[in-house]
Amino acid sequence: MNKDWELSQEAFDALLDWLDSDREQAALKYEKIRRSLIKIFTGRGCVVPEDLADETINRVTSKLKEIENEFSGDRTRYFFGVANKVHLEHLRRKLPQPGPPPTNDQDRIELEYNCLERCIERLPKEHREMLLRYHGAEGPAETEHRRALAEELGIAPNALRIRVYRIRMGLKECLEKCIERANG
Amino acid sequence: MNPTTDKQEMRSYLLGVLEPDSKTRLEEQILSAPETYEELLVVEEELIDHYVAGGLSGLDRQQFETHFLITAERQKNLRFGQLLKRYVNSHPFPEVENSAPAKKSLMFSLPAAGRPVMAFSIAGVVLLGVVLLGWLGFRRPPSRWAQQRVEPVVVVTLAPAAAPQVSVPPKGYTLKLELELANPNFHNYKSELFRENTSVQTRGELKIEAKDSRYVVPLTITGEMLSPGDYEVKLSGVSESGGNEFIEKYSFRVIE
Repeated sequence: MNKDWELSQEAFDALLDWLDSDREQAALKYEKIRRSLIKIFTGRGCVVPEDLADETINRVTSKLKEIENEFSGDRTRYFFGVANKVHLEHLRRKLPQPGPPPTNDQDRIELEYNCLERCIERLPKEHREMLLRYHGAEGPAETEHRRALAEELGIAPNALRIRVYRIRMGLKECLEKCIERANG
Repeated sequence: MNPTTDKQEMRSYLLGVLEPDSKTRLEEQILSAPETYEELLVVEEELIDHYVAGGLSGLDRQQFETHFLITAERQKNLRFGQLLKRYVNSHPFPEVENSAPAKKSLMFSLPAAGRPVMAFSIAGVVLLGVVLLGWLGFRRPPSRWAQQRVEPVVVVTLAPAAAPQVSVPPKGYTLKLELELANPNFHNYKSELFRENTSVQTRGELKIEAKDSRYVVPLTITGEMLSPGDYEVKLSGVSESGGNEFIEKYSFRVIE
């Protein structure tokens, strides 16, 4: 890729058009591809997965004129091929060092814990109970405990996993906002 | 490939120990199959929980610390897992009853279990009683309890971007609006109802509820308040300090 090449609005629009003729669908596909690329680069042990995902997308965009008439099939596969090249080049460069490990600042931990308490208290009662009961067993008893809970709730064990996961995601968002507010 | 294999494979992938061929296949799926991506997110959370609970083997633990925890995002997720475990440990919830006994038939939990003739006799008497009660119930006019079960409520779910049409509820009915929310970030909610841009009702102390996998804030409006026109509900969250934070605006049109 030309080192001076920069992603312009026009080029980005062309990328969206290539992904889907419906602009809303194209935007969703773009977001999904970017998130997946970040996950892949993270899985490969890259410390700056977002940068590599953006570089991959930029390269695909810069090649659009060459490929848009020739390429057929699943377009995400093209991103995967480019991501592999970007990753190889990244490995040849000096690897950035991992950031410092999380600190054990007791005040910060207490602040975060207080925020989590508040966020959990704000959960609807049935979600709070589901969360506590789901995490109520560890070790060998865990699987049976969760299976029994799913049966009691009348849902499949995998559906229970997904529900608890979504509750956790909501809690994380609440926790982040609470910490932001507390830090002013 | 069964789901258990998928889960195990994803775990190995997250720990950086998956075979290259399987890794390539999984990465292609992460890009092309949304369900694989979502499952990976769930497995990631579960891996963090197992690490926090001390459930990983020596090698897995080492991989978790040197490979998995490489990004700031995952370090943040680990902190969340640690805080959640602390909370769960300090708020124990009564154990889930093992469902196996509940699955036993009534006959086997009777004192006569093990004596088939006696057991069948008791079961027969119980069955006769159930049939008799059912018949009596069927013959009687609807009870007061049954009448009270029919609540004169029209329920309408409102999403922020939609503007549905709602017919004026019949006399004596109330309209229950369920205002959809993405996240339960507040303890209390406050609403203001507008008709044709004029404020007609303010409600406070509204509580969020879970409905399937969504959150809703229920808001009840008496039918008498509604006449044909454009309505808008402004929903705010009430913070601990008592301050209001605007969250969403919901629109609907009342028609004859």
